[in-house]
Amino acid sequence: MTSQQGTNRRDAGTLPLSGVRVIDLTWHAAGPFGTRRLADYGADVIKIERPETGDPARDMPPFYKDEPGLERSGLFLYTNLGKRSMTLNLKSERGRQIVLDLVKDADVLVESFSPRVMPSLGLDYETLSGVNPRLLMTSISNYGQTGPYRDWKATDITSYAMGGAMINTGHPEREPLHFGGHVAAFQVGAMAAAATSMHLLGVEASGEGDHLDVGALPVWMGAIDRRQSYLMGYQYGGGNSTRPYPAGALGSGTWICQDGYFMTTAGPAMFPRMMQMVGMGDLLETPEWSTPLARSAPERLDESLAVIVPWMLERTKKEIRAECQKYGVLGGPINSFDDLYNDEHLQHREFFQEIDHPTTGPIPYPGYHVKMHFVDGGELPARKRAPLLGEHTDEILRDVLGCDDAEIASLRAEGVV
Amino acid sequence: MAADNSGVNSLGSPNPGNPTQPDPSLPLAGLRIIDFTVVFAGPYGTMQLADWGAEVIRVESTTHFASTTRGMLARPALATVQAQTGMGMGMPDSEPGERPWNRSAVFNAHGRNKLGMTVNLRTEEGQEALERLVAVSDGLVENNLPQSMERQGITWERLSKINPKLIMIRMPAFGLDGPYKGYRTWGNHMEAISGHPLIRTYSDLSPEYAPAGVPSDAASGIGSALAFLMGKRYLKRTGKGLLIEAPTAENFVPLLGEFIMDYSMNGRVWTQMGNNHFYLAPHNVYRTQGEDQWVTIACWNEEQWQALCERMRRPELADDPRFCDNESRFKNKAELDAIIGEWVADKHASWVLDQLQIVGVPSGAVINERDAIEDRHLEHRGFFKRMTHPEAGTHKTPMTPFKSMNNPGVGPRRHSPRLGEDNEYVYKQVLGYSDEEYAEFDKKGHIGMDFDPSIP
Repeated sequence: MTSQQGTNRRDAGTLPLSGVRVIDLTWHAAGPFGTRRLADYGADVIKIERPETGDPARDMPPFYKDEPGLERSGLFLYTNLGKRSMTLNLKSERGRQIVLDLVKDADVLVESFSPRVMPSLGLDYETLSGVNPRLLMTSISNYGQTGPYRDWKATDITSYAMGGAMINTGHPEREPLHFGGHVAAFQVGAMAAAATSMHLLGVEASGEGDHLDVGALPVWMGAIDRRQSYLMGYQYGGGNSTRPYPAGALGSGTWICQDGYFMTTAGPAMFPRMMQMVGMGDLLETPEWSTPLARSAPERLDESLAVIVPWMLERTKKEIRAECQKYGVLGGPINSFDDLYNDEHLQHREFFQEIDHPTTGPIPYPGYHVKMHFVDGGELPARKRAPLLGEHTDEILRDVLGCDDAEIASLRAEGVV
Repeated sequence: MAADNSGVNSLGSPNPGNPTQPDPSLPLAGLRIIDFTVVFAGPYGTMQLADWGAEVIRVESTTHFASTTRGMLARPALATVQAQTGMGMGMPDSEPGERPWNRSAVFNAHGRNKLGMTVNLRTEEGQEALERLVAVSDGLVENNLPQSMERQGITWERLSKINPKLIMIRMPAFGLDGPYKGYRTWGNHMEAISGHPLIRTYSDLSPEYAPAGVPSDAASGIGSALAFLMGKRYLKRTGKGLLIEAPTAENFVPLLGEFIMDYSMNGRVWTQMGNNHFYLAPHNVYRTQGEDQWVTIACWNEEQWQALCERMRRPELADDPRFCDNESRFKNKAELDAIIGEWVADKHASWVLDQLQIVGVPSGAVINERDAIEDRHLEHRGFFKRMTHPEAGTHKTPMTPFKSMNNPGVGPRRHSPRLGEDNEYVYKQVLGYSDEEYAEFDKKGHIGMDFDPSIP
């Protein structure tokens, strides 16, 4: 927890994306997670929100102390760290003009509306690139900007199903299972951040803008749960994948142990290490156990269970983990979030970062996805909290767009901001 | 060009002679990446860099087989291959062929656009070749057990002396320091430690049934590619390379953000949620007609719920006190799921999906691999590209998951490299060895397209 308070932090002006301005028209989960990654690396992310209500994520649980409120959503606070917030009515002509004015000096615009929305607002790529030919525009949507499913709706569970990974998640005699929370959506945001950063290099080199179409379905189809290899395996004649039986492969499964549950993976190829660990090492010389093929026989699975099950029951998660380490067996305990937060390793790494906020006070957040070992010293700086709704409206109108007090007052009176 | 180490100015100047022929207009054309990655997370990251035009050189050895990278075993028996079909494993026609390591579905899915070289780093001349490669490269990516890399001399301290502009990405499971530095895990164990299986498993079964399933591999791959790009920008700004740690745990745990926020804000520990949402109902998967056929349905708001009632021809449900608002629906979700389950039970999943999407209700069929390959939307978007692999045949490969208006060439160009396929190009053109020196490497066993016969 000391990471946030650490003194070895870089000046925010010297980060990889320092000086890059991102106009952020994303909302909910996927888009904001992606632009948050850009903010993590120093980009100036200006988040445009609807007046009064803001990003709908502000109205989504979990709320601090379970009380709803625009500045209390854990989802919003988490996905919008380090951004500036400006309210703007995109449906008003002056609001639209302000977007165009912002785009003039921006490097990137990211949006995550349904594909029809930006054109209907008069903010399609052609218009935006007319204002700024160097603009990189990234459009994030459920299914992409083209194709028969373009306008379909999705949530994390439906997309996990359509992406293909759900059919082989769970027990074969039960219903398939989805991922927890917004894992699938955040994955899309992470891909959008990478795609945007990559094309930004190209745009900077060529001076020509670009429009990226990041469809969530293609992201899941290629990425989630190693889908790409499943699609290849199917075409190789392996058939469709199914939900596997637990402990269906030698030495693989989740075992009951003295103080919880422990997962291991071995299979016939890697099982010898596990045999050494659970005291079956002597058998390795016998013809029944000496080769991967011999170990593939179903009888070996039953015989192994007779040894592994009691062995696990006699030991704690920590003891098993240590034995796995000693013998080179792949495994880990089934942890809860309590265990995760208090995990000795993540605490040692100072992974969680304490961030203060007017509503919550200082609370821990998941940290950066990387540790940058800058050779000229310092680490990525402490993150700034998520912005209050419209917290930076005046500042942006004044400093970025050069509006004077009278103009700001008139925009406010008209309900544009 | 082979010795170009300017780093800063190399964008837009592709390496001539590169057998994968990156288009010079690709965003990373002209950059060279050394690839020591194994299994999936690392290779998925370097696949991004290769898709985007970088020259990615996989460094392998004929004397070491990293299990699960090019298959579970170098020389699996026919019966073993036949037993490993589906689930992203397997080989064409379930036959190992002459060189099984070139026929693995996992490897051939993520190896595209990369070059393959072999070298034995346990020798002096092997280390010298590595040093030459480092000197003419822009990046290095690896995701091995940290100690095993360090044993081979692959450390920032050493390599940065050879090339101070190197961007070195290391992706251990847990980090380069800390109590778990040496942990051997795959993604599923790291996710178990991170709390994921416990939240997603069935509410009415023991956690022994907690499912594996590994979003962390791809998440870390994408994270590592982003990290490289950020390293590239840092280099541009300062003229200096750097070491970036992108541990898979630290790339995955952020995807569980809301659970951690609820824990830190309210002390709540979510567990065994199955297909339940935090607060929405309906939100579940329902069995439809056919074997193992399912459809997912979720409603975000009252409008969608009312549309669902209309489409089920049960408009009275919208006003039913048990279901009239989300809170009531969530409380009575067992009854609600039974009603929806009954409605879909005798229908086809794709029919339900179409009917619900027409009226704006989020719905998705639980598709399998065949459905994906034949999907009309993906077909329309040109998501799959046919590619031929010399030892595996012609198959559809997924394109990069996003499209660029100005760079439509981003994506698969060449098949996954066979072991040692590009040795001649790498040794002679990239590293600058003469024909005689190359022959010497060959004689000493560095060069080859076969694993050593002693490897099972």
